[in-house]
Formats: sequence, structure tokens, C-alpha cells
Amino acid sequence: MIGIQQYLTVSAALFSLGVLGVLTRRNAVNVLMGIELILNSANLNLVAFTRFSRLDAARDAARHAMDGQLFAVFVIVIAAAEVAVALAIVLTLYRLKRTPNLDEATSLKG
Amino acid sequence: MTTVIDNPTESLRLFRPELVLSGAMLLVVVVDSIRARWRDGLNFLITAAALIAAAVLCLPLRDKSVELWSGMVVLDPMSVFFKILLIGASFLVLLMFQRSRELAGLVMSEFYALLLAVTVSTLLLATANDIAMLYLALEMVSVTSYVMVAYMKGDRLSNEASLKYILFGAVSTGVMLYGLSLLYGLAGTTSLPGIRDALAGGITDENRLTLYVVALLVFAGFGFKAALAPFHFWCPDVYQGAPTPVTAFLSVAPKAAGFAIMLRFFTSGLATPNSVPWELAPTIDWQPILMLISVVTMTIGNVAALTQTNMKRLLAYSSIAHAGYILMGIVALSENGARAILVYLLAYVFMNLGAFLVVTLIHYYDGSFELRDYAGLWRRAPYLTIAMAIFLFSLMGIPPLVGFMGKLYVFAAVVRTAQSSTGVMAHWMWAYAVIGAVNAAIAAYYYARVLKTMVIDEGNEEKAPLSMSILDGAWVGALVLANILPLLFWTSIEGIAHESLKYAGR
Repeated sequence: MIGIQQYLTVSAALFSLGVLGVLTRRNAVNVLMGIELILNSANLNLVAFTRFSRLDAARDAARHAMDGQLFAVFVIVIAAAEVAVALAIVLTLYRLKRTPNLDEATSLKG
Repeated sequence: MTTVIDNPTESLRLFRPELVLSGAMLLVVVVDSIRARWRDGLNFLITAAALIAAAVLCLPLRDKSVELWSGMVVLDPMSVFFKILLIGASFLVLLMFQRSRELAGLVMSEFYALLLAVTVSTLLLATANDIAMLYLALEMVSVTSYVMVAYMKGDRLSNEASLKYILFGAVSTGVMLYGLSLLYGLAGTTSLPGIRDALAGGITDENRLTLYVVALLVFAGFGFKAALAPFHFWCPDVYQGAPTPVTAFLSVAPKAAGFAIMLRFFTSGLATPNSVPWELAPTIDWQPILMLISVVTMTIGNVAALTQTNMKRLLAYSSIAHAGYILMGIVALSENGARAILVYLLAYVFMNLGAFLVVTLIHYYDGSFELRDYAGLWRRAPYLTIAMAIFLFSLMGIPPLVGFMGKLYVFAAVVRTAQSSTGVMAHWMWAYAVIGAVNAAIAAYYYARVLKTMVIDEGNEEKAPLSMSILDGAWVGALVLANILPLLFWTSIEGIAHESLKYAGR
């Protein structure tokens, strides 16, 4: 029987992998992939909580029953918008500097 | 107790300021598609008119206390205060766009659309009443600001700043989202008052740990928006790389909206219901955590600002330090603290935008952001130097300027809390107030250094005096007056701040 624990474990693993990717990757595109993992781990949480939550029964079910699912849909949209902007900026910067590597983005410091 | 409005037409009527701004944004995009030379001018007028109209439309909503859109957004005196503050800041920044040398020659219509979009999203952020709305608004503010920062397409610094901003922002808001999803799991609802009621019903010991983790994760998002340590690293780079009016905007509006939502999240999400509004959920030791963040934020900001040579960077670190002072209002965890935040933010808008306006004008007429090029400015532009002196004195917190009143209120709130707390916490609160005062003294040094360069240092003798247009002069003068005059009307401002403390969910 797969319960809420299994979902939460997978999502925690995804979140950790995402953070690890963000912290260790040099290429901006890879960092963006890490960010996607973080967002999707939260999505998995939201959907799993909506599916398994026992608290819902006690609450005004009609009003809040789908809150988490809807939240997840919005997060997917936001993630797409964010990545579109981020990739556009990575591309312009690539045109100017000829590198996607973050440790070479050092014009601003101090 | 607030009423929840489920009827969309009823909500629409109370949503007019946001509607006007969104409508104007679409109009600007449509007008932009006309290939005529006057379209930038027309769009400027549309944007200015929409901002003024939205601010006016906010006024009759002052004494409402309702939740719109089935509890997604809240409308109460505090939200109206923040709406007018944010719209006012956008308006001042819109005027600043006209005098930016960096943006000269670029198509401005898109910029106006972006400004309106980011204004709407800051309004939504300041009034969010549901964690889904909170996250959406936060991301709307962020994504629009990323584009605004990168607006100078051929400029390396602008793009690099935007990339750093975007990666930092996406990670912090992603971490926050993970926290929010756990919070949803704990409470079973996304609405902030619902979460508060659920948490007040008591939680098990395992969930106590989860709530602790949630608080830390969610704080990553707030900290990023308000540039609090340790989420402030983007701030100096982004402020330096972005076009100056955008920097001015970022230093004021998202910060104010960030503090607004922090107040709201803590009071209507994590407070104990039916108590004094600031009795936060007893599960977490709030004061030490927030105090540590505040102390580190102001110290890092002030110490790093000491050695800066670029004016935009210097003001960036100074704005980090100010975020630390504003956080003092939250650390106090009292009604006085909340009021101090409102007063401080009001003062901060005028003094910080004033300083950025002078920096923009000096760049427009003289072409430099470097502090060393400010030498001898006293002889070449006495009026601007005096204005800058007033803004910097206000930022230092010298009476009788508004900056002083802001500092007075936050320090008074902390001292009041120190008097009323007992045991070891009282000592810590007193120490905290002293650290804040020491920080204010450190800050005085680097603000004074700017003035010393402008007035005393030799240099640039061969350059001609700056000839400023009368309009620019009037506009700097207006901001100078906004820094001096409020003290004369202090009772009514105090009254407004007091009225604005009536927020929903109490």
C-alpha cells in the first residue's frame, strides 16, 4: 500500500536533488533544471496532501477540497513563465559573453 | 471577524484600483503596436493617469474590512495604506524613467507595461490572504522585475545582474513553495485564516518540528523579497547592474510589499486567534530567530557599505541595512512594532527615492555613478548637493527629517518590548536596541563620506556647472519637502498609521 509517507519521501528526495543541482552546477541551464526539481517536489507534496489529507473531512469540504490540486496547476504555469524569462536572459548573456557558465559571470562584484 | 465575499461582481467593485492598473497595462500594449513616434508619449500619459486614478480609487475603500474573491485577497485599512504607498512609489519611479540616460533611445512603452504589471503584483502581494495567492503574487513581482532589470539588452552588466537575480529568486521562491506545500499539508487549507485556526487547534510534537522547518523555508521567500540576510546576496549586484530607475523601484516597492505580506502572514497565518494580535504561534521561538536575522542584516549592510565606491552599490548596501531596521518592528512583536513598520516604510519611500533621484540626475547630466566623480559637485551643482544632503541626513535618521521619525518608532517599539519582557529575553532586547543604535552610527559614516566627497574634496574643476532643467529642480524640491514637512503634520500621519493598523483577521 502506497501512502502519504512514500510520496513525501520521494518529494523530499526531489527537493534535495534540486538544491544539490543548484549548488553544484556551473552551467546556468543545469541550475534551471535544479530549480524545476525544487518546484516539482512542492507540486508532488501539494497533490499528495490533497489526495490523502484526513483534515479535509473536518473542514468545509466543498470549499477547500481541491485547493492543493489547483495550487499545483498554478505552480506549473509559474514555472513555465519563470523558465521562459530565465532562458531568454541566459541566451542574451550567452550572445554577449559566449559562455553559459555562472562562475564566469563576474563583472559585478565587491 | 471579516466577511468573505463570494460574489464575483461584488468583489470586482471593490477591486477597482487593480482593475484600472491591469486595464491600463493592456491598453499600453495595444497602443505600443501602433507604429507612430508619439506612442511612447501617449503611453507615458496613460501610465501616469492610471496610477493616479488607482490611488484615488483606493481612498473610498479605506474603512472596509472584507475578504474578496472567496478569501483570496483581503481589503482592510492596512491594505489600503500599502496600496497607496506602492502606487505612489511607482509613480515617482515613472517620473524618474524620463531622466535615465541608460534607458534613453530604448522603446519605453514595454517598460510602462512592465511597470504597471509589477505595480499590480505588488498590490496583490501586499493583500494576499491565501498561500496560493501569496506565491502567485510573489512570483509575478519577481518575474516582471527580472525582465525590468535586463531591459538594457546589449549591456553585459544589466544581463548579468538579471541572471543572478533570476537564479537567486527562483531558488528562494522554490524553497518557499516547498515550505508552503508542507504548511498546506499541516493545515489542510491554503487560506491564511484557515491555517491559523487549524494550528490553534493544537498540533502533535512531530508536527511541531515540521512547523519549525516550514517557518524557516517560508522565510527564504520573504527574506529574498525584502533583501534580508542571508538572502541579500543578489542585492548589490542587481542594484548596480539594473537601470537606475529600476534599482530605485526594487529598493522600495518589493521591499514594502515583502514587509506587508510578512506582517500579514505572521498575524493572520501564525498568530493565536482572539489574543493580542501579535501573540504568535507559541510553537516557535520567534523573537530570537527574527532578532538574529535583523542584527546580521543591518550589520552586513552597514559594514559592507563602508568601502563602496559606486553610488548604486553603496545605496544597495544601505537599503539592506534599512531592511534590518524595519525588521526591528517585527521583532518587537507588538502593535507598536507594526505601526513602526508602516511609519518607517513611508519615510523610507521618500528618502530612498530622493537619494536615487539625485543619483539618476547626476548620471543624466554628468554621466557617472562613481563616487570619485562626485568630487567638487558642491561648486558645480549646489542645489543638487543640498538636496542630496537632506536625503542622506534623512537616511541617517537626523531630526527633524522623516527618517528620524522612522528610526524613533522602531527603536521605541523594541525598547517598549524590552521593558515588558522578562528574564533573559529582556536583556537580549536591550542589547538588540543598543546594536541597532551602534549600526545607525556606523551608517552615518558612509553617508557622511558621500557628502564629504561632494562638498570638501577637490576635483573636476575644469568641468562646467550642471545646468538642470527647472522641472527637475522642482521635482527634487518636492521630494526634499516630503522629507521635511511631514513633521509638521505628525499628529495626522500618526493618526493614519494608527487607523491603518486595523487589519483583517484580528
